[in-house]
Amino acid sequence: MAVDSRAGELPRRKRQRPDLTAPSLLGLPLAWLAVFFFVPIAIVAAYSFDVLSFGTGTHAFTLRAWHDFLHGGVYLRLFWKSVKMSLIVSTIIVVLAYPLAYYLALSGTRRKYVLLLLLIAPFLTSYLLRVLAWKVILGDNGVLNSFFFWTGLRSPEHPFSQLLYSRFAVMLVLGYIWLPFVALPIFVSLESLDRRLLEAASDLGASRLYAFRRVTLPLSLPGIVAAFLFVFIPTIGEFVTPSLVGGANGYMYGNQVVDLFETGFPDWETGSVLAIFLLVVVALLTLVFSRFLQPKQVTAG
Amino acid sequence: MDVALSKNGARLLKAFFALVVVFLYAPIVILFIFSFNKSNVPAFPLSGFTLHWYHQFLANSELKDSLQASAIVAALSGAVAVLLGILAAIALVRHRFRGNGPVSALLLSPLVIPYVVFGLALLLLFHTIGLHRSIFTVVIGHVVITVPYTILVLMPRLQQIDVSLEEAAHDLGASRVRTFRSITLPLLLPAVVSAYLIAFTTSFDEYAVASFVVGTRETFPIYLYSALRFPSNLPQVIAVAVVVISVSLIVVVGAEVGRRVAERRLEVPTDR
Repeated sequence: MAVDSRAGELPRRKRQRPDLTAPSLLGLPLAWLAVFFFVPIAIVAAYSFDVLSFGTGTHAFTLRAWHDFLHGGVYLRLFWKSVKMSLIVSTIIVVLAYPLAYYLALSGTRRKYVLLLLLIAPFLTSYLLRVLAWKVILGDNGVLNSFFFWTGLRSPEHPFSQLLYSRFAVMLVLGYIWLPFVALPIFVSLESLDRRLLEAASDLGASRLYAFRRVTLPLSLPGIVAAFLFVFIPTIGEFVTPSLVGGANGYMYGNQVVDLFETGFPDWETGSVLAIFLLVVVALLTLVFSRFLQPKQVTAG
Repeated sequence: MDVALSKNGARLLKAFFALVVVFLYAPIVILFIFSFNKSNVPAFPLSGFTLHWYHQFLANSELKDSLQASAIVAALSGAVAVLLGILAAIALVRHRFRGNGPVSALLLSPLVIPYVVFGLALLLLFHTIGLHRSIFTVVIGHVVITVPYTILVLMPRLQQIDVSLEEAAHDLGASRVRTFRSITLPLLLPAVVSAYLIAFTTSFDEYAVASFVVGTRETFPIYLYSALRFPSNLPQVIAVAVVVISVSLIVVVGAEVGRRVAERRLEVPTDR
């Protein structure tokens, strides 16, 4: 923990009081995270190297599970499948959310915060219950199919059968869940855009489209990247939605991690490898793009 | 001429916005409709109005017990998270120290961990130290994931509060604790309330981490998940869903409106 090492010196900057309180204020929060966040992750790492294992105490360090993971192919293929699903979902909803954010930020509508709240509110209600709604809608005898039977648009012998328990269902539900949230960082970046730049572009003869391409889009890029990561990072390790609406086809990497811990034949060592691998990928993404992931991207407004 | 949007462009975007809002709310509306539907299978055609499913869930003691468990978990973890969040936010905003950047990155890092990884990490921790799983182990996990949210809500508000008010109190002889109690806390209160509400609702709804560390007493999301496996429970669960979603929408909108009103009022003394 880095603390104020200058506390002992006389304060050079006048306004800043010599500060011994910051460490004591930070003590509790950092201790909580150390014990219940960082230590547990270290324990998972220890399991992945078989230093700790289920029920049988400590062992010698081994890379066996890591070797099997990296050379076996099964888990890595599943990982790529999840990455692809997650990429598709993130891309589609960023593309959908951009015009929403653009409308709120730049159309000059007076009720922009009311509309923003209208957009975000579903995100703040129960996650599981929103998945439940889609389960009710998409089932073979669900709301959508029964509606088509009832209105005679489709016969009950031929329902749309691939709706629920499919990769499509997982991506639809994930997109539905994250769409409102994704509009937020894009809105923040567009909101802070200086309109005079657009006026200048227009005065200099740029069309709206040209000004959008050369001014608005580049300036909102940080918001777009942040939005993309805000969906991609949580969905890549998703297991709740696929387990409820995914079936065998929509099975994701996260489900595999859970199954390695909770099924009849648990393999905590391999499960820990999968977990640490996912964590490393996410951590790298976060580090690489950290300048886009500023807290202000979500707190403004 | 509007530089950002042509008239038709604005109309088009407005229509698109409306369409998306319909898409977002339609599933919720469908739940509303079917919660009053007589048939025990949620499908068209509608078969008549009933309150049966609401009565049934009100009589379901398992369900009520899970709601109570979640309320306890959310109230406790919200309180701890807000307390830790206040401490961290004050340290980060009011005190300049070396390592400020990395420390805030550490404090916010639970935001980006996949919940499946964090859930099993906690499971392994409790297994290793031999702590039995219960609703309190869920509280521990929920504090970790909600602390960053409380910090993110509290920090901007704290930055708006004029330091010179605190310095004045200090110069007039108030201790740090006294200054905090009579100056900072009242000004920070709207943000504290919304931080608590965010932590509370996040915890109340959290399934992924809880699924790893919950004991024999189920929280509401855990109960819900297992109930979803049995089709016979479905109408009842839909009724519960309607109640929970309505309450959370009301709380969210109410809290947001309340926070804006309160902060606008508190802005008067600091605006100069």
